[in-house]
Amino acid sequence: MSFLNTLIPTRNGSSEGASATESRRPHYEVSETEGSYDLTVYLPGVAKEGLEITDEAGELTIIGKRNTRLPEGSTLLHREVSDAGFKLVVTHDETVDAEKIVAELRDGVLQLKLAKAESAKPRKVVVA
Amino acid sequence: MRYIQFTQPSYRGPSAYRFGGRAAGFDNEIDWLFGTTLTGLAGGNRGQFPVELYEDKQNTYVRAELPGVNRDAVNVEYADGSLSIRASRKAKTAEGEKDVALSREVSIPDEVQADKVTAAYENGVLTVTLPRREETKAKKINVSVN
Repeated sequence: MSFLNTLIPTRNGSSEGASATESRRPHYEVSETEGSYDLTVYLPGVAKEGLEITDEAGELTIIGKRNTRLPEGSTLLHREVSDAGFKLVVTHDETVDAEKIVAELRDGVLQLKLAKAESAKPRKVVVA
Repeated sequence: MRYIQFTQPSYRGPSAYRFGGRAAGFDNEIDWLFGTTLTGLAGGNRGQFPVELYEDKQNTYVRAELPGVNRDAVNVEYADGSLSIRASRKAKTAEGEKDVALSREVSIPDEVQADKVTAAYENGVLTVTLPRREETKAKKINVSVN
């Protein structure tokens, strides 16, 4: 199956028997407004404490640890998603002001506002 | 001994028949093969969402991934061994926001006290607790052998 695994893209980039260290890529949406890029990331089962957002050298990394382990003494009957956490890496250029990134997590949805740098905003040139 | 399904999110195999009542057709096989099932949260895949089913001594639990849905619009119904979960989410489109309806039917293998079903929504995950009926809970019976 190793050949097939390399040929066919899997949604999570992981096969069955995923360990806790593996992660899946969350579903996300990007939209652009005049002053910012808005990123919506769906992270079901991730609490504020399990969320880690870093921005380094034009790479925005979002890591969400899921708190969805089964309670003690329970038996699993059916499962469609793994316990593995989420990991999303988004690259951006210098038009994003890394100092002005605002994040809000609510009901498993992360809203990120990436403010555009002053230099990237359209500027009107006045003709003298 | 119970048969535990682990499907990396798809509705393939026997589970497709058991949960939701959809026949596991050729389309599903193709979806599974190319990982196209469930990739579109906003409206894709007929508004379905992944669920998980587990149990302990007293209850059967259904856990559903429903990030960012309107809490007041989550509708959970249990009837005749089947649990129905319906919700809606606001999705951004080019024309503005629109409501996306999500729904899923799950067959519950055990007898449930229908009037005692509860649900909780936290971090985008809905957990439904279905208490089992007394007679279906395992009973210990002492049998004396002469």
